[in-house]
Amino acid sequence: MSETRFTNVKQLPSVHLLGSGSPMCAGCGGLEALHQVYDILGTNTVFVNAAGCMTLLAVYPFTPFRGSWLYTAMASAPAGAQGIRDALDVLKERRGLPPEEDMQVVVLTGDGSAYGMGLSATSGAIERGLDFLYLCYDNEGYGNTGQQSSAATPHGARTATDLTGIGFHGEKKPLFDIWAAHRPPYVATVIGSEPLDLARKIEKAKAIKGPRLIIALSPCPTGWGFDPQESVAIGKLAVNTGVWPLKEYVDGKVVHTKIPRRRVPVASYLEAQGRFAHLFKPERNEAVLAEIQARVDGYWAGVEEVVAPPTPTLPQGGRG
Amino acid sequence: MNRILITGNVAAAWGARLADIDYCPAFPITPQTEIIETLAAWIDQGEMPGRLVMLESEHAMVTAAGAAAATGVRVFSATSSQGLLYALEMLYNVAGWRAPFVLVNVSRGLAAPITLEPDHNDILAARDCGFLQIHCATCQEVLDSVLMAYRLGEDPSVRLPVLVNLDGFYLSFTREPVDIPDPSAVREFLPPFDAGTIRFRASAPESQAVAVLSGGPYSYFRYEMHLAARNGLAAYDRIATEFEASFGRNWPAVEAYRCEDAEQLFVMMGSFATKAKAAVDSLRAAGWRIGLLRPRLLRPFPEGLFRYWMRGKRGAAVIDQNISLGSGGVLYSEVAAAIHGQPDMPLLTSFIGGLGGRDIPPEEFFEMARIARDAAEQGQAPPPRLLYTADELRETRKLQTLARVERARLSGGEQP
Amino acid sequence: MKTAGRILGTAFFREGYEVQDAPRYGAERRGAPIFAFVRADKNPILERGIIRRPDLAVVADDTLAPMPSAGVLAGMDGHSLMLINSHETAETWRGRLALPGRVLVLPASAEVEVEGRAALPQVGAACAGAAARLVGVIGPDALAAAIRDELGHLGEGVVADNLGVASHAYDLLAAEAGAVTERPPQAADAWQSPDWIDLPFEGAGISAPAIHAGLTSELMQTGLWRTMRPVIDPERCNHCWWVCSTFCPDSAISVDGKGNPHIDYDHCKGCLVCLAQCPPHAIRAVPEQREQGRE
Repeated sequence: MSETRFTNVKQLPSVHLLGSGSPMCAGCGGLEALHQVYDILGTNTVFVNAAGCMTLLAVYPFTPFRGSWLYTAMASAPAGAQGIRDALDVLKERRGLPPEEDMQVVVLTGDGSAYGMGLSATSGAIERGLDFLYLCYDNEGYGNTGQQSSAATPHGARTATDLTGIGFHGEKKPLFDIWAAHRPPYVATVIGSEPLDLARKIEKAKAIKGPRLIIALSPCPTGWGFDPQESVAIGKLAVNTGVWPLKEYVDGKVVHTKIPRRRVPVASYLEAQGRFAHLFKPERNEAVLAEIQARVDGYWAGVEEVVAPPTPTLPQGGRG
Repeated sequence: MNRILITGNVAAAWGARLADIDYCPAFPITPQTEIIETLAAWIDQGEMPGRLVMLESEHAMVTAAGAAAATGVRVFSATSSQGLLYALEMLYNVAGWRAPFVLVNVSRGLAAPITLEPDHNDILAARDCGFLQIHCATCQEVLDSVLMAYRLGEDPSVRLPVLVNLDGFYLSFTREPVDIPDPSAVREFLPPFDAGTIRFRASAPESQAVAVLSGGPYSYFRYEMHLAARNGLAAYDRIATEFEASFGRNWPAVEAYRCEDAEQLFVMMGSFATKAKAAVDSLRAAGWRIGLLRPRLLRPFPEGLFRYWMRGKRGAAVIDQNISLGSGGVLYSEVAAAIHGQPDMPLLTSFIGGLGGRDIPPEEFFEMARIARDAAEQGQAPPPRLLYTADELRETRKLQTLARVERARLSGGEQP
Repeated sequence: MKTAGRILGTAFFREGYEVQDAPRYGAERRGAPIFAFVRADKNPILERGIIRRPDLAVVADDTLAPMPSAGVLAGMDGHSLMLINSHETAETWRGRLALPGRVLVLPASAEVEVEGRAALPQVGAACAGAAARLVGVIGPDALAAAIRDELGHLGEGVVADNLGVASHAYDLLAAEAGAVTERPPQAADAWQSPDWIDLPFEGAGISAPAIHAGLTSELMQTGLWRTMRPVIDPERCNHCWWVCSTFCPDSAISVDGKGNPHIDYDHCKGCLVCLAQCPPHAIRAVPEQREQGRE
């Protein structure tokens, strides 16, 4: 695996490629991740989109991309990527398309598509060895329609369809594991609040051929119930509490790229979000909180002390 | 002449091969499977270039087909029945991309109950999606129509995908002599696909199939698709003329068989229409002045040709091999709409038959001709007739008995 | 504004009116300008959709009023009354917007600097209260009941706050009770024929829903969304190069060669992630309304 060119936050791009003026919510954690990803991937890309919040990135005649875009449908963005990838290959092989006209094909979907309706198409694309990159912005619910529960909704979250009791009874589907079980060359989790980790993973994924799949946890002010300015803070809490493990699957192994040495209690992550407010008010639901904490603890107990590549921890801002 | 004995499925595959397709996303379904197996074998054995990829569903297959066409290559695909319906969301969707390609549908009745033999409810479910539709009656027509479909869909005045329909079993698995056109003549008739500006290239950013959020631009884009489809009428005539000049076969948008001096008409589409042709010949021999109108082009709908051929006729039996549940025959309502308000038009009578491959024997055609003639004489159309005989009900009753349907509840043909 | 529309609609309904109320959604998400409309009539309402000629237009955010893209002035004629939440005078607005009808001003937003969005007053409730008075047929009891109906699920505290704000606005406009009047329905004895055309066919290169260029989103002034504006204090900025610029979800902060960050106010949506993340706290938030007044 090639060494990264991102060893230090100061190497992160300070001029950005994704256009402003998109209609995503103020403080959107998905857009935060996408604009960082786009800086690394570059403009030689064609994004293949499935129904979700980001379908509205391109509303006629406005697009924030410098490169290309195709909207498909909720269930079949990876199949759209297949068609474009195959067509570009055939054009090069048969019709004299110059190689510099080729592009990276990038699937962009929300969790509703990635964890549910589009999973069959993703599975097919991985199994066919399709050379593409998949970016899932995961805001843990059908955000575009008002945050109903999806297969990515975490246990205990209130959603527009889980208004009472402890909220959502199910568990977040282990999409990372499901993807990794197909044994593609690369799977990773990222988050916009950890830009260096994200940049290194996208840099790595960009250089690999075959199916490369990335899930970006996307703090969602609208769907999760917090002030937009807290978007990055919530993301950092997701990592530091261990709720969102930053990891990659590469060469058949799962490696954690950032292991929170002293994990912050999950309650501080949950308490910052309206969707979990019922676990704290009128009184703390200790049982559910303990259950969620135990699940996170159990996860990390299962993580062997892996030889993670030494990751410089993010300084809390630059030091001048 | 290179005339060989092949099935309708192989004829469809020959069409794709002669069209020099670049790409075929595929998914198997009875009775279409032979088409993709044939193409896969040819590509594997180096007999034709191009790439065939097995997708995991028809929905994905049509997405990949549309995306590849939107990237600028010539695409072919094929499906049937449930597969076409599974892909229906994407049929509407990719038509709006204005990315032309050819999709062959091998007609088969729809579930439930699931069945294998043909009728036209599958292809008619895709009637309004923006794909143009060509309906075939012979294996030769299947091959020729695939070639014409590329010309039609890729025509700059159209630029829409095209469905070519052949009936399961009756064409798909039936061998007939088919003339395989000379590849160099085909290349002349059908030059390589020019995607124009709608394609993906690194040097020219292009956002395709972008959302719109208000009725003004939405109406514009949809109206333009409609205008493009309507342009298909003139484009089709032009292409059919060229095709005849190149290959000597004439495939008009509406086939009119012995209609010139006819007083009565059958109106029917698909492979069963050749049965209607045989009935026309028998009835003519018995002294009837009767003909057959068979639309090959269903979208765009050639209402001008219907008006031309129907003017001055006394009666017409429209035979639908489909049923719009709760309404009746789809072709009947299309034809009725085309001639309504026009002077000197025949009285239409509606018949529904051939569902799930159920045969229509000659005597049923004769009887339909009689009913249509009597109705025209009386100036009053009878209610639509569902073709079904007492024998058929008796046979079905036997099955119901074995299915342990309570005998006391059975009525009709056999009293409990 | 959606809630304000619902409060007004419910208040009409409680006064025995037939009502239509609805928000109008666009592509934009949370934080973007939003419209809502309310129709009320003693008879069943047959008209639907957007109000083409409003009797009353209530503008909660006066920064939107002069922006043609916001469409605030659509259909305003001599019969239309505009109520605008502003600290400027009605005459100023009437002149600035060249309005043929009357303008009333409702100073509902605080002039003092507030700490964040949460501290912004209940502008929606104020607008609903003021509108309820202007239409002249909604009593204080119906207004209060409507607020309970629409906000009750948020708890007694929220209801009480909004009741206070709404009734204050209601009282403020006592002299203008009934200033809004119903216009007669469109007569069918004479009309201007619609300018229908036979749409020309246009090739797919023109008529496909495709954008043949990049970055056109920058024509969208998402800066209009802001209620609070982040302002960088260059003295306190430690030129870290990356924090505000990387974390801004909207690519609205760039850093120049000298390490100075610049906020693109045409596009900054005012999420204030930059403020929350800036290590030396070199970014503060000021109310947008006041800042634009100053410009």
